[in-house]
Amino acid sequence: MTPQLSPDVSARADAVFTALADPNRRRLLAAVSSSPATATELADGLPITRQAVVKHLAALADAGLLERERQGREVRYRVTPEPLSDAVGWMAEVGGQWDERLSALASRYRGEMPK
Amino acid sequence: MAQDDVRQDVVSEDESVERELVIPATVAEVWDIVTGDGWLAEEVSFELVPGGEARFSTGTSTRTGWIEEAEAPENPDRAARLVFWWENERESASRVELVLEPEEDGATHLWVSETRPLEVLDLRGIPLPGSGSASYGPALLAVA
Repeated sequence: MTPQLSPDVSARADAVFTALADPNRRRLLAAVSSSPATATELADGLPITRQAVVKHLAALADAGLLERERQGREVRYRVTPEPLSDAVGWMAEVGGQWDERLSALASRYRGEMPK
Repeated sequence: MAQDDVRQDVVSEDESVERELVIPATVAEVWDIVTGDGWLAEEVSFELVPGGEARFSTGTSTRTGWIEEAEAPENPDRAARLVFWWENERESASRVELVLEPEEDGATHLWVSETRPLEVLDLRGIPLPGSGSASYGPALLAVA
């Protein structure tokens, strides 16, 4: 028998996959899933500006992957504690691992392939 | 939701990651790299036959698994395919599929996917059919 799924889940999955299409957002999500953080803290560990980090965090929050928690003047982001976040965490981590493997493979041949 | 939509939704419920890349090298060269040490893990050992044992070590982390399907390239420009399962104490079992297809200009199109079924029965506890059997396949049930 076909398992029953809530339509909410598939709509949410679409939003999630769109949000995860960007490698910086996957990286941010992986970072936030290991510990809640503010945009400033996250920007320190990444080669992108704080402004870009804020934009990516907003996209992740809009997809329901992250939630905001106001802390003084800063907003701290944490992973949404819902069942899908386990799936999302897995996809972010595994996707990141494959990105690394493929870029390692591509870099062996860099220069030989016209872009 | 229309009944027709259900099947597609079920498929998307399997967690899956897909990537692809075109590499300016023959299928045989790419096969050697992706099945050798240093790509899937620092140290890779596997018996490239269906049911063969597989072991992937990077630093102190080791994943073990088994081969579902292995089609080495018959000659440098033939397609190749490798499907295996891996897991460790920290991560649940997932299925990895690597497909290498020759492009017209001597390059190789590599397509990878890693899928984690929603629920995998304990793979190690299930007797596997003999290797080489045409019906050899993943001994698992994916349920929602």
